[in-house]
Amino acid sequence: MTSTDRPAQNRHSRRTEILEARPVQLDGFVEEWPEVGMIAMESPYDPEPSIRVEDGVIVEMDGRERSDFDFLDQFIADHAIDVSAAEEAMALDAQEIAARVVDPRVPRQDILHLTRGLTPAKLLDVVESMNVVEIMMAMQKMRARRTPANQAHSTSARDNPVQVAADAAEAALRGFAELETTLGIVRYAPLVAIALQVGGQTGRGGVITQCALEEATELELGMRGITAYAETISVYGTESVFVDGDDTPWSKAFLASAYASRGIKMRFTSGTGSEVQMGNAEGRSMLYLEIRCIQVAKGAGVQGLQNGSISCIGVPGAVPSGIRAVAAENLVASMLDLECASGNDQSFSHSPMRRTARTMPQLLPGTDFVVSGFSGVPNADNMFAGSNWDPEDYDDWNTIQRDLKVDGGLRHVAEKEVLAVRGKAIRALQAVFAGLDLPPITDEEVDAGIYAHGSEELPERDVLEDLKAAKGVMDRGITGLDLVAALEKGGFRDVAENLLGVLRQRVSGDLLQTSAILDGDFSVRSAINDANDYAGPGTGYRPSGERWEEMKRLRHVLSASNPEQEVE
Amino acid sequence: MTQTGDRHLDPAVDYPLSSRRPDLLHTPTGKHIEDLTLDAVVAGDLSPLDLRIAPDTLLMQAEIADGAGRWQLAENFRRAAEMTEIPDERVLAMYNALRPNASTGQELADLADELEREYSAERTAALVREAADVYERRDLLAAADD
Amino acid sequence: MTSTETGRPERTAEITEKGSAGRGEREDEVVLGISPAFCSFFTKTISNIPLAEVLREVMAGVEEQGVSLRIVRVKDSSDLAKIAHRAARLSGSGIGVGILSRGTSMIHQKDLAKLSNLELFPQAPLLTPETFRAIGSNAAQYAKGESPAPVPVQNDFMARPRYQAKAALLHLKETEMIEPDGGIVELDVSIRRAGS
Repeated sequence: MTSTDRPAQNRHSRRTEILEARPVQLDGFVEEWPEVGMIAMESPYDPEPSIRVEDGVIVEMDGRERSDFDFLDQFIADHAIDVSAAEEAMALDAQEIAARVVDPRVPRQDILHLTRGLTPAKLLDVVESMNVVEIMMAMQKMRARRTPANQAHSTSARDNPVQVAADAAEAALRGFAELETTLGIVRYAPLVAIALQVGGQTGRGGVITQCALEEATELELGMRGITAYAETISVYGTESVFVDGDDTPWSKAFLASAYASRGIKMRFTSGTGSEVQMGNAEGRSMLYLEIRCIQVAKGAGVQGLQNGSISCIGVPGAVPSGIRAVAAENLVASMLDLECASGNDQSFSHSPMRRTARTMPQLLPGTDFVVSGFSGVPNADNMFAGSNWDPEDYDDWNTIQRDLKVDGGLRHVAEKEVLAVRGKAIRALQAVFAGLDLPPITDEEVDAGIYAHGSEELPERDVLEDLKAAKGVMDRGITGLDLVAALEKGGFRDVAENLLGVLRQRVSGDLLQTSAILDGDFSVRSAINDANDYAGPGTGYRPSGERWEEMKRLRHVLSASNPEQEVE
Repeated sequence: MTQTGDRHLDPAVDYPLSSRRPDLLHTPTGKHIEDLTLDAVVAGDLSPLDLRIAPDTLLMQAEIADGAGRWQLAENFRRAAEMTEIPDERVLAMYNALRPNASTGQELADLADELEREYSAERTAALVREAADVYERRDLLAAADD
Repeated sequence: MTSTETGRPERTAEITEKGSAGRGEREDEVVLGISPAFCSFFTKTISNIPLAEVLREVMAGVEEQGVSLRIVRVKDSSDLAKIAHRAARLSGSGIGVGILSRGTSMIHQKDLAKLSNLELFPQAPLLTPETFRAIGSNAAQYAKGESPAPVPVQNDFMARPRYQAKAALLHLKETEMIEPDGGIVELDVSIRRAGS
């Protein structure tokens, strides 16, 4: 429609006009272009699987000789693939492997014995032979942790620590096991990370928090005990994009050990579409390149991976079978026995129907973290550029859980409890700021923060003073212990105990094991003591008992005993 | 404290260490995990060093990871055990040195030697030497005269 | 948005190549570097602003400040930082602007590292004709040694689902149009109303 005079034959039907006005028309869709990697999966240009082992060393993989290996090939061949399992596993037909992965009667452990010997191209063939329902069936069995969980974002368009603390507390109360923040102005990080930690421990003792920053800074906040884990350690599927990101598999493996050496949980991040987005996909499909990323994570010895396209979701989302590829990449992470924080964390579609459908392959089977994360602040305040889910969707999410009896990690909480915990979180932060001689939080801010939806409803803070104080936090060497002491001194002994409980975990290292989270009573739940034991109907994790009763509650449910009233 | 880590830990019995085997858990400063109380914080008896993980604990977690069939994770924990002794700033500097085009072959060789000599970090040193080798083949070393 | 929808008269750009571009002598000039397929294969930005309109706005923004503008085409790269930095190095004032066909823009200064910049406009879909005029104006003010306030940019978290894949496609197509031996050529640009 570019010409000024529209010819009469361009007359449209009323139905076309209605369809043109639907939100889905605002989404972008493009045709496949496999030669440059603009294709989700099933590309004619992906390599054929192959392997040749000589003297315990892989000398050929997926049609490439060892002397021609790029650094990902070499890292995968030497660190990710179990050579002793490789030749036998590679000899099996991909479709046969896929059938075993989907079959509930074949135990998860048996699958892991096969997948540890597969090359990237073979793993690709395996998942390419599955449709999306089979991918979900497989995910139900292959997820590492038995009990699914969820993660929230708590950020602020103004980097306002008061908002971050209140929304972190509410998110923790609503059931999220992990909380993540990031910044508009990076220098604000220390204050916002403190707010996230204090808010989180007020909402529910044992939630763990992270602050997404450049690699070295993120590690420093973790070392100080201001954050409890890390996630934004990015890896890429081609050598040139990896180098553009200023890292290699070896620098990332070193970083993984650095985190563990301080007792800090961490996972890598990757996702389909990042390489073609940067114009360097080397003519491979998005899913093939992502499988290489997953194997780099495996080889580095990191316990888990956040994947599911993540910030590039608009790219697979625009091509055919793209969301199936995204579900498949989550599955491959789980098939390689990694914790999978499965995306759904970035604005994806204008269509509420597409938004919901996109999440079903993770929500229905359950993953270690179904959304990573679910925005705990309105999307306008989401500094990860918007999530697929935000607080306006809380009740829809709870209803979907109840309708389908699937556990997406959240619960309905009465407003009075929400308000109480928001108020307590801000007052606890007020006490910490006072105790550490940071710019004061006023009672007006406390009141506004309790009732606010977004940052615009909060009084503006003196940003320059806050930034000066943030620098002071780093210069003065403030650590998690100082926060504990300030909370106790300010009269928040229970919050102080909670934070100390999280810090104490790093001495035990229990959170370093695969898929670990902390329960409300600070017991660790990981793929070791809460291993997925799904083996078909009637087995594995199913919501029951207290948890199912909790999932039945919604904002408005009519009472059966007195239909003129609602259930409390 | 022993450095063997070989205590025949059974993932099904001994994990989580914090609840099942607190008797094994000490900080690098020699405190027992159950000494890490709020009262101790208030009394000023704890320093950030008391909230670090001990190398021996990482070796125990490595044994548990191995027992669960996760050999790469176990290897990561063993490198981590070696790195507990390296100061924070030095860890960050070593990481930056491993970035692409950041170090010459000689600088990476020196880094590996330092890891072995100063910290007895054989596994980490091997990782650095392997990186140096790959970086040379893939042209990712800094030029010697830079 | 077509030009009709913006309410602006439709314009076309007439571009002729004047040979290899050289370093400028005048201290009161800004150099604008455009990408390989700008106003050749591509006719409009990612959000359908005609590229002739983009050129007209940048030219007007620079001229309003009493500074002159030279326009060059960088034929051998689709990398915005490279295009903007090369434009800056050709510029007598040391200030250059780079614009890709999809609209993504950058103001650069010759003494800065290539991966640094004075101002970057990464979200092409959110750039309007007014933004392009302001980019020209700010570049000219930097050239005069002034410190203008950065051009404000909008934020829209729904730009990703609409434009992310299109941006990738446009980048791939522009990259395909690279002439590895094409170098940088100086251009003569005149903007006319369509049909005039």
